[in-house]
Amino acid sequence: MTTLSHAPTSTRPVPNPKRSLITRLNMGTGIIVGAIFCWGTYYAMRAGRDMTDTHNVNKVLLSSMLMWSFGFLVGIGALIGPFRWLIGKDLTAEEQLYLAGDGQGIKRYFKYCTDHKVVGIQYLVGVMTMLGVGGTMAMMIRTNLATPGSHLVTPNVYNSLVGLHGITMIIAMIIVATGPFGNYIMPIMIGARDMAFPRLNALSWWVLFTAIPVLCSAWFLGGIPTGWTAYAPLSDQAGPGMNAFLATIIIFALSTAVAGMNITTTVIAMRAKGMKWNRVPIFVVGATISVALAIPAFPTFMLAMIQTGMDRTIATGFYDANVGGSGWLYANLFWIMGHPEVYVILIPGVAALMEIAPVFVRKPLFSYNAAIAGFAGIAGLSVLVWAHHMYMSGWMPSLNGPFMITTEFISVPTGLLFLVLVGTLWRGRPWMKLPMLSVYAFLWNFLIGGVTGVYLSDVPADNYLHGSMFVTAHFHYTLMGAAFTGAMAGLVYWFPKMTGRMLNERAGYIAFWLIQIGFNVLFLGMFMAGAQGQPRRVADYAFVYEHSNMISTAGAYTVGIGMITLLWAVVHSWRNGKIAPMNPWGAKTLEWTVPYPVPLENFDVEPIITSDPYGYGKAAN
Amino acid sequence: MANHTEELLPPTPGQRVSKFLSRKDVRQTFILGAFFTLVFIILGVWIYPHWMPNVLSKEMQADEDIMIWFTVISAPIAGVILAIAMESFLNMHRGDTPPEDGIAIRTHTPVVIIWSSVSVLFIILALVWGMVSMNTDAVKAATDAPNALVVDVTGSQWAWSFNYPAQNITTHTLNLPVDRPVTFNIISADVNHSFWPVQLGVKVDANRLTTTVIHTTPDKIGVLDVKCAELCGLYHAYMETSGQVESTTDFNNWVSSIQAQGGTQ
Repeated sequence: MTTLSHAPTSTRPVPNPKRSLITRLNMGTGIIVGAIFCWGTYYAMRAGRDMTDTHNVNKVLLSSMLMWSFGFLVGIGALIGPFRWLIGKDLTAEEQLYLAGDGQGIKRYFKYCTDHKVVGIQYLVGVMTMLGVGGTMAMMIRTNLATPGSHLVTPNVYNSLVGLHGITMIIAMIIVATGPFGNYIMPIMIGARDMAFPRLNALSWWVLFTAIPVLCSAWFLGGIPTGWTAYAPLSDQAGPGMNAFLATIIIFALSTAVAGMNITTTVIAMRAKGMKWNRVPIFVVGATISVALAIPAFPTFMLAMIQTGMDRTIATGFYDANVGGSGWLYANLFWIMGHPEVYVILIPGVAALMEIAPVFVRKPLFSYNAAIAGFAGIAGLSVLVWAHHMYMSGWMPSLNGPFMITTEFISVPTGLLFLVLVGTLWRGRPWMKLPMLSVYAFLWNFLIGGVTGVYLSDVPADNYLHGSMFVTAHFHYTLMGAAFTGAMAGLVYWFPKMTGRMLNERAGYIAFWLIQIGFNVLFLGMFMAGAQGQPRRVADYAFVYEHSNMISTAGAYTVGIGMITLLWAVVHSWRNGKIAPMNPWGAKTLEWTVPYPVPLENFDVEPIITSDPYGYGKAAN
Repeated sequence: MANHTEELLPPTPGQRVSKFLSRKDVRQTFILGAFFTLVFIILGVWIYPHWMPNVLSKEMQADEDIMIWFTVISAPIAGVILAIAMESFLNMHRGDTPPEDGIAIRTHTPVVIIWSSVSVLFIILALVWGMVSMNTDAVKAATDAPNALVVDVTGSQWAWSFNYPAQNITTHTLNLPVDRPVTFNIISADVNHSFWPVQLGVKVDANRLTTTVIHTTPDKIGVLDVKCAELCGLYHAYMETSGQVESTTDFNNWVSSIQAQGGTQ
């Protein structure tokens, strides 16, 4: 296993590997080399090709985008280590220490830095940027839908907004908890000095980073008409912007594979002495199950996209019925990823709330085993439910019954998650700080998301609801109302450890209430539109849906103001907030035993664990 | 720490339950739970018939009933969760320092078992309901098929067209006679669409080169909206048309008028 040498922090000399290429590389050199690779590929491949043939256009664009990603990784120095292995060497100890970024100040955030805390902050800023961009697109969608007959944007721009909002938010939400907190907090929580594979950790972030400009390029290539589901054959027919979508997914799937392996290995192999499986903090369990679920899920999405790419570049016709392919093949591959994926998003958010609730209620987590059974049950069943998205597709109506059974049985482990949280609240006197408020918001939102999910899982009801705004409202209740609420609680809760400062409480409360109230207005309005019969992903609608859409848009603006307030609170508090004590919440997990700034390799003395971190409370009567 | 002399457990289960029920927080939780349950039941029964469009077929009625009854049967579960949450919320501690520790309830096996069993029962109930409803539709479709009106539906970017083979007409509006079973054979001329005659409560995708079939029986006279429920490109939002469920006489007159125009609308 490649890890950093475990020299004690205090006696380590400042690394200074002069004359090493590594010291000269950063994000800037990455962008330059990436751009050279990208444009080089573009012009080299264009030469002599008939660019009026769309297959050739797709070949050139897709290759250029993937070469940008590769070039960036070359330019930032990600491949120096593997290259040295090829010639039978490795980075010197000094170079490895240099890569860990100790003492390099703010510059290390723009380098290929292997310190898990730096990677965590990179993910945090990245996630917030993506949520901001995705949220802005959501505001534009809702503005266009405020009144019927609105032509604020053209149908083409509208469809692109829907698709790019979708994929931006899906990517952001997949990493929203496991990215920042899974990288920054989780290794400290389990008493590790770093992740198992620090270089892969840096790689997972910088690979993901290269997907961002690729996705943005979709706008300049005419947008995507397909929504984030990218169903074939619409995706075969789509214009050059579709290539950006394909390349983004391929790059993103690589990043999640790398990150998933790294987090799983770290938790399995690097827990502190005495941290048996029944003493692992529940957030760590949740994050691990989530990324472990992502490991088999995303490759099918990548495969689906590679096949779409082959259809578009060399006319293989995997999904083209005219030459013997089938769009249902795509739909199956997509949802085999797509349904586990929603639980990849949900589980870490819930786990963060389960970590938070005992601290503020000052009671042990109610039934740790039920929580694990809940996560494991969801993860296990989630790979068997994908075709409930295809009840109405015409593919195998005879399988609708079996898929209805597996889908509805997911309610049982999901019910356990509710039980754990309400059991923790039971007879408690909660300390009503901002993270704790999110627990209540979660219970309300996820209840609505869960019950409406049962309607949708029912084949006859789905006859009416499938493809309507009701579905959109349902999954926003689970992804935003539940998972995002959990991640926001995590941000407020771990903010003191990640920034050394407390989040501004007043601004935090205002943001919280604006977001939660606005959110409920927004999506209750959307449930109404869906029940009335408005299809999803429409740029325009009939007058009967006027009121429900107006309600939704009003809610959306409220959420928008709340999000801006939250952003202000985070930025302001990061710079000028009250200095945080080492353990502001009186919690018992390991991350609160290290000072801020957390030293390189976290612990001077490796901790030894003798109990789980939920030893709150007087004995029961 | 542990102080077992203060509150000894009563000796029999019956006494334990009655002591539990006499606690103030328990009684408050029950009242809150009853309140939330009632609110959800009223909302469920009122909201969906109020929101959803006209019911023009048994299939649509079944869809609406499921939404109403699933809300009603999940109301007590929602009520319990919200009641416990509200009870603890009202008992909050404010201030800058954490409150005293609460009671160390690590787990409570009977509660975990009861909770899991109730959710399994709820799911089985929902499943049986869904299966019976699916089966009813399938049996009805099979028995109705021989004398059903056949309509071949083609979705193309971005319009619907309807071909009535027996009547030998092709139209852009969907007119159907009341109380006669109808079989839709759906196909796409290009990308995926989804055929959704809203008030009939049925839906299926239109796929390229593969026909999908749905059955329904319109049983009331009224206006139909036909929409596309699968994103199909640029003008997806405008891929809609209207129609009519009408008396057999009106339907026959409509057919004759189209035939008089040469068979196309």
